[in-house]
Amino acid sequence: MPAPAIRRMRPLLGTFVEIHARAPAVLAETGIEAAFSAIDEVQRQMSFFDPDSDLSRINLHAWRKPVAVNPSTFRVLLLARHVARDSQGLFDFTVGGRLVRDGRLPDHGFHDLDSEGWEALELLPRLRVRLKRPVVLTLDGIAKGFAVDAAVHALLAHGVTRGVVNAGGDLRLFGPDPVPIAVREASGAISALGSFRNTAMATSAVGLSLEDQARFPSCIVTPAGCDGAACPHFNACPRAWTVMAGEAWRADALTKVAALAPDHERGARIAKLGGRLIVAGEDGREH
Amino acid sequence: MRDFAPLLIIPAAALVVGPAHATEYLSIEQAQKAIFPEADRFVAAPVLLSEEQREAIEDRAGVKQRWEKQDVWRAEKNGQLIGWFIVDNVVGKHEFITYAAGLLPEGKVKGVEVMVFKETHGDEIREASWRKTLEGKTLADPFKLDKDVPNISGATLSCRNVMNGVKRLLVLQQVALPAR
Repeated sequence: MPAPAIRRMRPLLGTFVEIHARAPAVLAETGIEAAFSAIDEVQRQMSFFDPDSDLSRINLHAWRKPVAVNPSTFRVLLLARHVARDSQGLFDFTVGGRLVRDGRLPDHGFHDLDSEGWEALELLPRLRVRLKRPVVLTLDGIAKGFAVDAAVHALLAHGVTRGVVNAGGDLRLFGPDPVPIAVREASGAISALGSFRNTAMATSAVGLSLEDQARFPSCIVTPAGCDGAACPHFNACPRAWTVMAGEAWRADALTKVAALAPDHERGARIAKLGGRLIVAGEDGREH
Repeated sequence: MRDFAPLLIIPAAALVVGPAHATEYLSIEQAQKAIFPEADRFVAAPVLLSEEQREAIEDRAGVKQRWEKQDVWRAEKNGQLIGWFIVDNVVGKHEFITYAAGLLPEGKVKGVEVMVFKETHGDEIREASWRKTLEGKTLADPFKLDKDVPNISGATLSCRNVMNGVKRLLVLQQVALPAR
């Protein structure tokens, strides 16, 4: 008989992070505490809002001189570059300048808001980062998933072997228990997807109204600048894409690829990048 | 939950009726232990705010202090104040959240724990699509839904409401709570 899950929720990563730990109470409590700390650490290192975070120091200074960062920031940049390259830029973590110009992200006095392109990022030995030109990086599309992975690692390290970490939709399940999952579409509708185990999932919505954008702060910027209600294809836009992958960082990043890929290539592109596109109704069974 | 039931009375217009997803994470005692594990005593010290104090809070926090009474506890160790434990509610358009904040005497946040999270999908369009997508499931007891689909992926809910609430409580501490 498995122990009942202990559940906690804290406001982190701009959303509500919920952790379920199915373990004896003492293990679960210390594991959950460690997991929230791990998320907090990722948040502090990769925050765009904090001018002293690793990310902000890169954005402000790395185009002039190499900037030393924490190992997890370095790893996220490595992963982000890998997905950007292999998705031919559909996943793009260099759109920070555009988001600052649109007023979605704060301006810490960046040198240039117009330059973009993942190939500007150079990862140097001894955890140093350099930018070939002053691009503004934003890790929103991958760091949340990475934080979920870090939380799962912390739980496992504390002997919690079954549970769920859900950071406002970026979630990862671990252990043998099948867990029912539903998706909240941007319209507010909730669709049951089926039961899953030992996997990570993320959903990204495109084509949100301004009101919904305020409520759902994640936003996707498309290469063509198509975003939200102003997009001429707004009504034709699929409302949400859900991607499954072994790790949450990958699921997180691949939802951006899913949202932006042409219809006929979507499934194949996601599969090539190590994920799986989930369509509601099509996949409503236990995995 | 009984202890702070009066705080749950909020203007009816802010509540939307509809299927809801609600989870209780922590009782008051559990939240106290979670935020101040080192405390050996929690002394109830509810605060009654004057009109002036509420205005001062709104001015300085930029967030309205909607109620006069705020449930506050002194967290003590060996008779010394080690922090303030405050239970607060925030009401969003679609969510109703009861959370606890632990504030250190010097005015820093020690921790924040969500105690109750309730999400409503109230307006008719949302309700209609909810019904459609969950066809076959009973909606007679909306809280049962939590058992059926406890893990929701998808459009992310912002925690800004709670962060603004914590900001308000930090000002409330300056305005209405003693230094020791």
